[in-house]
Amino acid sequence: MSSASLSVVPIFATPLAVAELPASLQANQAVAQLLMEYAAANPVAAAASDPLCYRSRDDLLEWNDALVHQTCGEILRGVWSTVAAVNSFTPEQLKSLSMQARGSFAIVQPNGSIPATSHSLTSWCGIYCVEAPQPAAERSDSGVVRLYESRLTTMFADATNSVMRVPFTAGHYSWRAVPGQLAVFPGSLTHEIPLIRAAGRLTLISVRARFVGPGQEGWSRW
Amino acid sequence: MVSPVLKLSPMFAVPVLQTRMEGCERLNSELEALFLERESPEYRNPTPSHHPQAETFESRFNLFRWPEPCVQALRQFMLDAVGRAVIQTSTVTPEELSRLRFQNHTWFHITRYAGSFVAHNHPLASWSAVYCVRAGQAVPEHPQSGLLRFFDPRHGAQAYLDPANAQLQAPFALRPLEYRLEAGDLVIFPSYLFHEVAPFYGADVRITVASNCWFA
Repeated sequence: MSSASLSVVPIFATPLAVAELPASLQANQAVAQLLMEYAAANPVAAAASDPLCYRSRDDLLEWNDALVHQTCGEILRGVWSTVAAVNSFTPEQLKSLSMQARGSFAIVQPNGSIPATSHSLTSWCGIYCVEAPQPAAERSDSGVVRLYESRLTTMFADATNSVMRVPFTAGHYSWRAVPGQLAVFPGSLTHEIPLIRAAGRLTLISVRARFVGPGQEGWSRW
Repeated sequence: MVSPVLKLSPMFAVPVLQTRMEGCERLNSELEALFLERESPEYRNPTPSHHPQAETFESRFNLFRWPEPCVQALRQFMLDAVGRAVIQTSTVTPEELSRLRFQNHTWFHITRYAGSFVAHNHPLASWSAVYCVRAGQAVPEHPQSGLLRFFDPRHGAQAYLDPANAQLQAPFALRPLEYRLEAGDLVIFPSYLFHEVAPFYGADVRITVASNCWFA
């Protein structure tokens, strides 16, 4: 084996930003209660109803409640920070962008799940954890957000390319939802909530966002 | 609008083949009894490729080496169908196919309430097949229970949707393909295609046999 200096570079990488939102964390209990009450008062139409998972309309950013407004504001700032971190914008360029965003929430009960989805017409997706179930010893993916493998990986596997380390691992990536944490990733990335196999709910706030630069036409309103 | 002749072609298409074993009730009943009897550590896959679930039993991959007549009858049905799939979708002739060495890994799954199988594909195989021994209870409040779901391999194709591409008809539709298997159904597909089994909510069991095939 050669001892020459070797530079290993992750190419074609997908950004995943994780941030702690301390102010939102403090409000989580109250926000969770608010969302539960809303869900109880606004049942989903029977055809789309899932008794183990409530998925709201995407009008959360238009709510007037102060706590929800504060939490969503922090989430959107987290998306802005992600955009700043992964691009080469100057502060002036960043300021010149305008964000369009939609927000919703989901409450997943034990034995509930959300099938894989991705967002069209969306550049960034943010998922904030309001409350999470305990990890389940016998089901390691309970309580995670699973981000799907998106590379055109080879169908040829041998003893060396099937066990590579992160970020080169071929396969899905799991982000364990922790109350007070926000994950931001590209909106095109397919993701799902695997079945919850522990006591406690998983309550998540999701935003999908896109940005319009000066002089760009943008899109019609969501 | 001028109406010239328009030739519409499905490019980069993925072949999925479906067939059904007629009169499968007795065979399935024998398979079910055999599999349930052997749902034990001795027959469990000792090297699962994914995190195993308590609710889903996966057997060793040598199922088609079992000598029991019901297993051999299923082997004949499944592998014959895979061979027909190769002939129907490729330029390989029956004579050429008969000269190839046909290999497989085949196993069974027994899935109980809350069992599922994460999205995956099968490296080092060309064709995969799933046969349904027992569908398990349909659960009206969980219409996606136990679905076999194939993911659209046209990554990113749905990133920009407007009214002109949001409602494309099959085979152009930009969405996963879902199958609710009934006992006796067989689905054959290219092994590269990502697929999953949605959480099963029946109070009984869902039993399937899966096979990965490769030729040399």
